[in-house]
Amino acid sequence: MKTPDLLRVPLLGRFFRWRYSRFALQVPLLLVALLALYDGFFGRQLAPKNFATVSVWLHYRGFLVLAIAVLGNLFCAACPMLLVRGPTRFAKRFLPEFKWPRALCNKYFVIALTLFYLFAYEYWDLWASPWLTAWLILGYFGVAFVVDTLFPEGTFCKYVCPLGNFNFTLSTVSPTQITARDPEVCLSCEGKYCVNGRVETPSGRKTLREAPNAEGVRYPGCETKLYVPQIKSNMDCTLCMNCVRACPYDNVAWKLRAPGTEPAWARYKIDVVWLGVLLFFAGFMNAFAMVPPYYQLAEHLAEVLGTRNEAVLLSTIYVLWTGLGLFLTLGVTTLADRVSGVRASPLKAVRFWGSGFFPLAFAMWAGHYAFHFLTGWASIIPVTQQALANLGLPVGEPDWTLAALVPENWLYPLQVAILYLGLLAASYVLFRRARERNHFLAGGIVFTYFFLLVALALWVLAQPMEMRGTLLLPQ
Amino acid sequence: MRRLFLLALVLLSGCRPKTGEPLEAKVRFVPEHPTVGKAEVCIEVDPRLELVRVEVVGDMTHAGMIPVEAEAHPAGPGLWRVEDFDFNMRGDWVLTITAYDKKGKKYVKEVRLTVP
Repeated sequence: MKTPDLLRVPLLGRFFRWRYSRFALQVPLLLVALLALYDGFFGRQLAPKNFATVSVWLHYRGFLVLAIAVLGNLFCAACPMLLVRGPTRFAKRFLPEFKWPRALCNKYFVIALTLFYLFAYEYWDLWASPWLTAWLILGYFGVAFVVDTLFPEGTFCKYVCPLGNFNFTLSTVSPTQITARDPEVCLSCEGKYCVNGRVETPSGRKTLREAPNAEGVRYPGCETKLYVPQIKSNMDCTLCMNCVRACPYDNVAWKLRAPGTEPAWARYKIDVVWLGVLLFFAGFMNAFAMVPPYYQLAEHLAEVLGTRNEAVLLSTIYVLWTGLGLFLTLGVTTLADRVSGVRASPLKAVRFWGSGFFPLAFAMWAGHYAFHFLTGWASIIPVTQQALANLGLPVGEPDWTLAALVPENWLYPLQVAILYLGLLAASYVLFRRARERNHFLAGGIVFTYFFLLVALALWVLAQPMEMRGTLLLPQ
Repeated sequence: MRRLFLLALVLLSGCRPKTGEPLEAKVRFVPEHPTVGKAEVCIEVDPRLELVRVEVVGDMTHAGMIPVEAEAHPAGPGLWRVEDFDFNMRGDWVLTITAYDKKGKKYVKEVRLTVP
């Protein structure tokens, strides 16, 4: 079936083929980041009244899941951190470039960083601190600069950035994907320009790989080294559209596809599947950490362990929960394999069934972020006014009562709908996998596991919210 | 160019809104440890300050929450009271007490508390 190509839409296609389209998308987010840095460091240190905390923890996260659901990984496309590329290219002249270690050419390092980030988020209450949020932004720019200076471009996005990999994983459910218009054209392509880059020199066309210093009009190729005719997934695609501009045959399409179905037919590596599984359980914990049972659990754990050290308690809760999640996932998927008569290793079982977690992970994060975004979306107006007023601009008196986008009693039904849609997409993945094995009971076993997880998630989201940084109440 | 930039910087910092003097005040709650719901906020200041208006704004520490705003009423020399301040959610709260004296001078105090 022929699906629409967004690059054929007149203005959109023209925009993304334009050499500076990515820069045009990055500039607004760079300005937002600069204002967040300014207000985070110098503004009032009160999260709901500071541009850094409101823009990062409310709007950035809200728009991010919205963009992924509606179109794709637009926030990687517009990532302002990649504007460090100018300085990194300059620094590369004086510094040696290393190869990223082979042992880290997978998602395990990202998984470790993501776990550390989630721990830091709770332990230091990043959401409540404009100052720490500003440091987080600055630190992100710094790490992007160091990694992309010392290692090949794209290393940061593919192997280091927890946020980018979060976007990659969730965008597997997006309704668009980069693909080749005609794979036959790619077979006869002499330079594989989409991945190797293109430079039009007076002496003819070359790849940037073979002539990195050649004079002429330059079109960089894919930074994460994706070869367009082989792209079967949005994983690692930053939607930078370098491939679109580098292809001299106009053979790259940005096609619409059925949302949520990619995990049904894509074959991910085991590290990628673990990332998806982890993001579901981490998303669950992120929401759970805002409801009273979490604090009751912490009090109980403090009694059992005989300590009120927040780092110890938080680590224990996170290790227990993610450990339990990974262990249960191994057990349930192995059981499903055995039931369907397959005697493969447990890791192979996770790899086969685990991609069902991708839509669930999206739904878990989208449900949680939707709550915050919809309850406080308009608060960006007064905090922007205040941040600009601090800069001395005449922007009028902020109205702090601006907040909610929808009535509060709509929020839970909306979260339920999002999680049900996630479960529906996950069940499609499981159905397809079960059909491959011709054994529907096996799919039913994993589905029951998913159903129970979603029921637990709905219970968490139904709890009254508690916005508290202190894990334990003072004694 | 550099001079122009410096001039702009000085002018902009001159326009920066004033935050107010620190307010020396004792703040009590009734009940002493408020839970979710209404509570009384008592603000005790030096009567010599001659305050004419006292506002109490409660914010939660998470971005996006609507603040709770209330006007305190005089309840004796140097004593101001909000009778039914609405702590509408569990969690960490920051109360910002802003007071104005006869001359329009602004005083500010921040109080942090956890509502279990």
